Formats: sequence, C-alpha cells, structure tokens
Amino acid sequence: MIKRAAEKFFKWYCHPDYYEDIKGDLNELYERQLIHANASKAERFYALEVILLFRPSIIRSFHWWDITNTLEMIQNYLKIGLRNLRKHPFYSFIHILGLALGLAAFLFIHHYRVFEKSYDRFHYQPEQLVRLTTDNVLNGKIQVRDAMSFAPSGKALKEELPEVIGHTTTYKTFRMVFKKGELPVEENGVIAVDSNFLNLFNYKVLEGDKETMLLEPYTIVLTESQAKKYFGQTNPMGHTIEVLGRFNRPFRVTGLIEDIPPNTHYSFNTLISLRSFQERIVDDSWRNFNYYTYLLLEKQVNFEQLQSKMPALSRKYLGEDNGLVFNIQPVEDIHLYSDLTFEPEIHGSAKAVYFLGIISIFILLIAWVNYINLSTARAVERAKEVGLRKVVGAQKAHLVGQFLTEAVIINFLGGILALTFVILFLPYFNDLIGKPVFSSVWEHSGLIRDLVLFFILGTIVTGLYPAFLLSSFRPIGVLKGSFGRSRQGTLLRKSLVVIQFAASLILIAATVIVYQQIRYMTNKDLGINTEQMIGFGNPERGQMEIDQYTSQYKSFTDEVNRLPGVAKVAGISDLPGGGSSDISSTSGGVTIIGVTERSESTVYVNGMNDRLQSTLELEIVEGRNFNHEFESDTAAVIVNESLLKVLNVTDPSSVINEYLQFGSNPENDKLLIVGVIKDYNRSSLKNNIEPTIFYHRESPAQTLVKLNQESLTAGINQVEQIWNRFYPNAPFSYSFIDQRFEKLYMEDKRFGFIFLNFSLLAIFVASIGLFGLSSFLALQRTKEVGVRKVLGASVNNIVLLFFKDFLWLILIAVIIGVPLIYMAMNDWLNTYANRINFPWGVLFLAIILVLALAFFTVSYQTWKLARLNPAKTVRHE
Amino acid sequence: MKKYPLGEFEEVVLLTVGVLYNDAYGVRIKDELEKRLERRISVGALQSALRRMESKGYLESKFGEKTNERGGKRKRYFFITSYGKKALESSRDVRNNLWNDIPNIALDLD
Repeated sequence: MIKRAAEKFFKWYCHPDYYEDIKGDLNELYERQLIHANASKAERFYALEVILLFRPSIIRSFHWWDITNTLEMIQNYLKIGLRNLRKHPFYSFIHILGLALGLAAFLFIHHYRVFEKSYDRFHYQPEQLVRLTTDNVLNGKIQVRDAMSFAPSGKALKEELPEVIGHTTTYKTFRMVFKKGELPVEENGVIAVDSNFLNLFNYKVLEGDKETMLLEPYTIVLTESQAKKYFGQTNPMGHTIEVLGRFNRPFRVTGLIEDIPPNTHYSFNTLISLRSFQERIVDDSWRNFNYYTYLLLEKQVNFEQLQSKMPALSRKYLGEDNGLVFNIQPVEDIHLYSDLTFEPEIHGSAKAVYFLGIISIFILLIAWVNYINLSTARAVERAKEVGLRKVVGAQKAHLVGQFLTEAVIINFLGGILALTFVILFLPYFNDLIGKPVFSSVWEHSGLIRDLVLFFILGTIVTGLYPAFLLSSFRPIGVLKGSFGRSRQGTLLRKSLVVIQFAASLILIAATVIVYQQIRYMTNKDLGINTEQMIGFGNPERGQMEIDQYTSQYKSFTDEVNRLPGVAKVAGISDLPGGGSSDISSTSGGVTIIGVTERSESTVYVNGMNDRLQSTLELEIVEGRNFNHEFESDTAAVIVNESLLKVLNVTDPSSVINEYLQFGSNPENDKLLIVGVIKDYNRSSLKNNIEPTIFYHRESPAQTLVKLNQESLTAGINQVEQIWNRFYPNAPFSYSFIDQRFEKLYMEDKRFGFIFLNFSLLAIFVASIGLFGLSSFLALQRTKEVGVRKVLGASVNNIVLLFFKDFLWLILIAVIIGVPLIYMAMNDWLNTYANRINFPWGVLFLAIILVLALAFFTVSYQTWKLARLNPAKTVRHE
Repeated sequence: MKKYPLGEFEEVVLLTVGVLYNDAYGVRIKDELEKRLERRISVGALQSALRRMESKGYLESKFGEKTNERGGKRKRYFFITSYGKKALESSRDVRNNLWNDIPNIALDLD
C-alpha cells in the first residue's frame, strides 16, 4: 500500500530522464531490505527514500502547458457533453425538466418545513420559555388538556420555584371594537398583557419605555402597521383610541413596537395593559382559568423534573379534591406539537410537515432515479464510443471525467431551471401555503445555498454510477458487438422503477384518502340545518341595564323577523362553526341531583333563546324547548345527549324535571332540566361533540338569521339597515354559518391541496422519466417489433407483450406500497374523531390509475413502432 | 570565483565513481560510500549529487543492459570525464598546497 503510493508519487515528480535507473536502484534496495526485514518495514524504508529523493535536481520541470492540457481536456469534455445534449434533445429535455422540477419542489417544501419549524425560535431565549397550561385529571386519567391557566399562577410559581426566573400573564380578548374618527373598527388581534410580557417576548420596542408602558390601566401599545392604520404618519404616542363596548372609554397610546413576525403561535397586533381587566382578574382569581401564562426558566432546566413538582403545587393553590393540575410545555413546541383545547391559533401539524417532507424527498429521488435509469439504459448506445475511446488511448479516468462532465452539465442546467421555477412560482407557492414562507429568493437565507448544495449532491448521486458503469466496458467486447446487457444494471434499473411505481401509488392513494376525509367532514350531517344562515355578534351591553338591553334586543329581533328576506331569527351564545376555543367550559364538576354522581369531566356551556330550536331545526329527544313566557325558565337548562353520556345516564327521560347543579357546594344554584336535545356538531368534526348544557338567555351574545332562499343579499341588506338603526355604534359584521364550518377545515383543505399539487408533480416527474426510459427500451427492440409483425403479430399483441415487462414491476410496487399506505393513512385518519373507514376501494382505484398511467407512458413508443411498416423496422440498425 | 566548483560530498562521490570504474551505478556507489564514510546515505542525496555533477560536466553516464532484476529497469553507469578529472586534480592541488604550507609546529599536538 505505502509502496504503491510512494511509487505513484515518485513517478509523478521524477524527471523522466532519471526515472528508469533511480526506480531500478530503489527496487534493488527494496529487495535487499526484504531479505533482512519484514515487508512493512521495507515499504516504509522505500517511502522514506522516495521522500528524500524529492529535491530540485531530481524533480521534473512543471510547465504551464501541463495545466492547459487538463484545461483542454475539460474543454473537450464540455464540447462532447454539449454535443451529446444536442444530439438527443428529447432525452436531454426529460433529464433537465425532471431534475429541475424535482429540485424546485424539494426546495419549496424544504423551506416550508424550515419555516414551520422556526416558530417561536426568534425569541431571546426560546429554549427557556414555557407555557403554563392546565390538565383536567379524573381518576388519574387526563380528560382535557387546556392551554389556559389561572391569572395568579405565574406569580405564584415564580415565588415557589427557584427555576422560574420570569413570568407573564396574558389575556386574549375575543373581539374588540376600536374607534378613531368616524367609524367603529372590529379588532381581533388584541391581547391584554402585564408589564413583564415584553421582557419574556422581546419584540423590539420603537417608542416608549418597555418596563412601564403597560403598567397602568387603559394604556395601549400598537404595532407599526396598526399605528399607521389609526394615525397615519403622525406619531401616536400620547394620543388616544376609543375602545367601545365593555370599556367605552379612551385608551392612551404609551408605546410602539415593530410588527411581529408571522412565525409565532401567539400573534397579535395590539397590546393593552392587563390592569385594564383588573376587576375581572380579581373575580376569576383561582376560580376560572382564562389566561395564557408564560414562564421564563433558568438555563438547562429539566422539564420532567419541574413537571413532577406541579401536582403538589396544584393541590396547594387549588385545593385537595380538585382535578386540575398545572402543566408546562416548551413554547418552541407549541405550534407543531401542541394540541390542547383553547389554543390561541389554529396550530400547525408536525404530521403534515412530516408527510410533506416525505413527498419532497420522493420527488427529488424520482428525478434522480430518472437520470440514473435513463443514462444506464442508454449505456448500450454509448458502449461503442467507450470502446473506441479506450482503443485510441483514453484511460478510465478520462471516461469517468467525460460522463461526470455530462452529469454536471445536465444538473447545472436543471439547477438553473429549478431556480427559474422557484422565482416564477414563489407567489403561487406562498398562496398555496397561506403563509409568507419567504418573499424573495435572493433575500431568503439558505435557499441559494441549498440549491448549490443539492446541485452538487445531485451531480454526485446521478453522475457517479453511470460514469463508472459506462467507463468500465471492455473495448474488445463492445467493439466486437457482443455487448451483453449488464445483469446488475438491469436489476438496479428495475428496482428503481419499482420504487417509482410504489411512490406514485402511495401518493395517489394518499391524496384521494385525504380528500375523502375532508369531503366526509364537510358533507356529514351536523345534526342542524345551517342553510342560508348568517350569524353575527351582538353589541356589548356596556353600562346599559340588562332589562333595557334585552328589550332592545327583543324589538331588534322582532323587526328582523318581520323582514321579507328573513325566515327565522334566534339568539345563541356561541355560533355553530366556531373553533374549539370559542365556547365556555367548566371543570368544576356537575351533578344531576338524585340521579347521578358528580362528574368532574370538562363540560361546555352555551346559551340560547327559545327561537333557536326551530331556527337550527334541533331535534328534541325528550322534554321541551325553553319558553320565554315561563318565568321559571330563567333557571332552566337544556342538555345534549353527550352530556348524559358523560354522566352515565342511559334513559333521557329520567333526567327531565330533575335538577342539575354545578360544583361541589350543595348551596349552588339548582337548575331545572326541561329538555334533552339530540347531539349536533358545534365545531369541527375533527373533535368529538362537546357535552353541553344550554342556559336560557333572552339576549345572548350572538344572533342567527335564516334568510329566504330567493333574496340572500337583499335579506342581508335589510338586516343591516335595522341593525344600524338599533346599534349605530357597533359594526355589523356577519358570516355565513356554512362558511364558518368550512373555515374550520381550512387547514386540512390546504394540506390536502398542497399534498395534491406536489403529488401530481411527483407523478408527472416519474411519468416523464418512465416515458423516456420505456421509449428508449422500445427503440432498442425496433427490429424485434418488425420481425414479430412479419410473423403475424398484431399491434395489440406487441404492445401487450412489451407492457408485460413492466407489469411485474407494478405488481411488486403494489405489494410494497399497499402496507405502507395502510399504515401511514390509517394513522393519519386516527387523528380525526369522525373519520372514514379505511377506503380499500380507493386503493384499488389507485392501482388501476397507476396501471393506466404506466400503460400509456410505457406503450406509446411501442405502439408507434408497431404501427410502422415492418419493412422499415426490420431494416433498423 | 572558484574555477572548478565542487562540493565536499560531490568530491567524495566523484572519487568513488573513479574507484568503481566500469561498475559505478547507483546502488554500488551507495554501498561503497557507506562502507568508506561509515554513515548512511540516502538515495536522494547520492542521486542529486550525481545529477548535479553530470550537468556540470564532471560525469557522463550510459545505460547498461536490460535484465530481469530490479523490476526490469536498466542500471545507469557513471564515468568521470576529463573535465571531472581536472576538477579533482585542482581540488587535490589546493589541498596539497595547504598541507605543505602548514608549519610543522602547528600539527605537533601530541
């Protein structure tokens, strides 16, 4: 080993005139050494002599033409490579397009994944930030995990635990109405925070004092874009914004921060001081948990260890028999991994990101496989060239250089085209994802780097194997024409085609299953009729007396009900089609006195007036609807079937006219159960139906209006006119209930659509590759086609015969693909509370589709050949 | 300037080539030198000295017959040229003159 390296080195540097005799001397000495010492010592001695020979009088002269020789070789490689490219425009096109599409898709998805994983990593100490959440535990089992926590808990934990070095308590407001100038504006991005907030989440403060600007009640901090919206170019500091509704008073602007980045789970556009809600906080105290609390921990705190201290602390502050336990979760993981109730955002899904990652790798692999397959298949064509080159003196290294250069050219052109695709499709891609993943190719760090990186990697992956395969042909064999197809090469090619088929099959089946599940959810009977129905929030009561407010609301609804464009009107606290965090819940326990034990599961509370039942067409299973004429109905409730299930009641009639009670105190209000309604889906079908108790509210927070079929817009206009007369200070903003439900599935649909797009792309890339490969293989058998035809084969015979080769590969792909699809997609479907059964029919359909796709791509060239006059084809070669 | 530039090691090598007349090729010279100087000499040191002197004109060389030994590589035999001889003579003269000029007393050290 050492000797050989030394010999090479010596040969390289030694002056050619001196080489022979010095080499001979070295050999003689080496042989003499072998007699006295062992081989390895002799080799080391040899190497030492060679190194000592490296001196000016022995070394050959290195001339400038030695370098230009290499340069000229490279020029030659390039020239021949480009000629080959032009000579076979069809195959070159397939190579370049495939690689470009693969690379572009990979880059897009890769950077989308990077974006999704970047959530909340921009904070100052992201790994030290945790969110305090609350688990509802019953009999040692976690029932519901809630993202919210109690208002005083942050402060309490900071005092109890040395690991906690900072805390902030925040409250996400539901909907606020601001007024600056004439029109009231609805704001959905307002959160109330304490003065610690900007120490934990260090958004850049542009104006105002970070420590004090959120200390006082009725102060407000705007982001730059909000400031522009309300104040234009003038400096907003010290000015006021009118906050209507509950507050109905001006808030003073005390600070200005920069716009927050899109990749945070807790986004907002306006901060108001938490002190503004002082009354509510005192009232909630350790009773209700409606707050998002964040803690800043010491460096390198063990989360599990910290978590183990929580049960004892929970008992200390919440009482012994309480089912609620504090829980912590790293802020970095919230966006992708947290799936709690009352999340502040529609969170991302680690699974979706993972699935997309797999697709992107599929696409890239398929593109690479295309290149390897087609170039090894075309080896036959270039075998003669290799043979001749070798005969006239080309060494293996030169041939490898030639073929690698061709791979570099094609990958380079593919890379350029990929970059063009990325630039062209960037707006479409951001639209598809629904988030600004990146805005410019040049400014987005890492994109060009990854492009170059994967260009190099792609060149190595795609170039190396064909280069070594082609350059290893023996000149005698290929020139004699007895060039047999390499068995190994064929096996590799077949396995790669199997992988392509399997990938296509998996992608087709998965896409259809995703779509079926979404269609199932959007079309499933919700248990209510929401056609032509709009919903809108009622104005806040503010300082108005409840009776006055109710009677105003009653006359409003009466007038709306009389409109020609309106069929029905009803009031409800939480509109159908809301997110999981829209509804109130309680974990304080609920009992039906004398009928059931107390259950501490989370139950949900909604409110309705007596018109709701007929408006939504709710089915009453037992008992009756509310009636506003019954004085006693103010303390009555209606429950749904799911609630009875939670309480282990099987017979609905047994609870009618019994009393329901919240909490554990026997002095609490007793509520008469007047009816049981059939379950209906208030929210996404991803979740189970909530066990719900409906109060009777004559003027609940929201209104549902069922419009007449003929005049939707006219109906809405009429309602708005009445609204403006009754509530001139509140904005009228309605939404269709059907659309609200659709919005719940927006993320799933988006995922489905992204999946569809990239699957199609992957299948397209695979198809063009397969098309190229099979066309080439068919052309190789042109003569055979002619002979067969002469002997009486029909066109169909020939096409089917040739297709049979691929049929086996598809069969193997099916055997590999089906279990994979079942495992992955069943797993995915299990994340939905209402899921479809695994659709075996879809699988069957996907197989048929792959077969059809393969048939058309594979058989096109055969068909074209088979139709030719055999006189032409037999003469081929 | 020195008329006949000749280093000390070069001189020894040149003399050895003369000693080994007709048999002076790399390994043989190396062996002879190592025996006489009682130290190890690397192929590199020897060869560079030989080539240097060849280019100065003190030595000439020719290949021997091809044999199956030494991996089929021919030996290169070195011969002293008349110019080389002059260089040696001049070197010896310088030394002799020096020897002659040393007063006896200077070496009377015993």
